[in-house]
Amino acid sequence: MTEHLGEDAELYPLGILDDEAVRKVERHIALCSACAERVAQAQSVAASLAAALPAPAPSPALGRRLRDSIRPRPPAGILRASAFRFAVAAVIALALIGLSWQTLVLRGRLATEDLALVTMVHSHFNHVSMAPESANPVAAKILYARDGAWIYIIADKPGGPLHAIAKMATGRVDLGVLASAGETATLLFRPHERIRSIILRRAGTSVASATLAY
Amino acid sequence: MDDLVDDFIARRPSGLEKAYELWSRVFVGVARHSVSDRARAEDCVHDALIRVWRAPNRFQGNREMLKAYLIASVRNESFAMLRSQSRRDARELKAARLTPVETVDSIVDPVEAQRLQGALARLPEEQRKALALAYYGNKTHVEIAAELGVPLGTIKSRISMAMRKLQADLAGIGGSST
Ligand SMILES: [Zn+2]
Repeated sequence: MTEHLGEDAELYPLGILDDEAVRKVERHIALCSACAERVAQAQSVAASLAAALPAPAPSPALGRRLRDSIRPRPPAGILRASAFRFAVAAVIALALIGLSWQTLVLRGRLATEDLALVTMVHSHFNHVSMAPESANPVAAKILYARDGAWIYIIADKPGGPLHAIAKMATGRVDLGVLASAGETATLLFRPHERIRSIILRRAGTSVASATLAY
Repeated sequence: MDDLVDDFIARRPSGLEKAYELWSRVFVGVARHSVSDRARAEDCVHDALIRVWRAPNRFQGNREMLKAYLIASVRNESFAMLRSQSRRDARELKAARLTPVETVDSIVDPVEAQRLQGALARLPEEQRKALALAYYGNKTHVEIAAELGVPLGTIKSRISMAMRKLQADLAGIGGSST
């Protein structure tokens, strides 16, 4: 170890040392607890010196900037996608699930779907058609993120409330009833672990199922 | 024991957010003392806090020590910003102030400021002058030595002595509350 810091310990928290001296202090106090203690005491004196300075209120933007720098990007960032990107997302998603753009516009589904659709276009996803499970099945598709972060179920002409049940490694989870609007019903879900398969039930009977491959 | 300190060391966002909520005014005050332009001063606060945030393992201690550590980081960042500007800019930004406690109305804690003023007044004249030029005057020890025509080592000693005397003085007064 190099020799102890001496007076540089007091100069350091005043901010007046040059870059080379600053690096020397930081390297030293990482290894020497005696000098680290001396620097900590000098820091508390320097903080007291700040008590004499005017203390203007920061702009609100500064707090927001700091939060943005330390927090993961919030979902609001996805929702802020422009109308153009939303339209592109919708077209891609609808092409994949085999329904025409006009059909869903007419059914008035767009406004409620933007979170799901915009989420999809921002991530790599797979899609699978659900296999019929009864004599009176429902036509449904599942879009799901390749990393398992979300699944989106869309059923055409549900013919009554559809209940989604997910199978995972740890057991079955009831995802709840698909939200129905007009002639489609949808469900967006963000699981904590990977969903292996989905079953749709109507009036207690399984009507469709699918296995998800990642 | 102290959630704020624990959160900060564990790099939980709430740690930095709480620290900012408590001490944002002093951070901005320290930055603007060296960099008078508001936007640039706030850049310094942001950059200093984020730098510390990304290397939290360098900090150990209690809440007061965390506050002091963050203030020192902001001071370092702002002083470096001041240095990186041209000499002409620097003179325009801030002229040296030898009498530090003038604006008592807008400071954070008048009691703390008064305590500090008393402690500064008890320092030997040469030490007080050297420390005031460094901290409130935004001058390096090299510049102070040149300005006062005194050897560099002497200035370093005066500043160091001033800091250690202040520490003893402030700690002593702090311990005897009435
Ligand atoms: Zn040492």
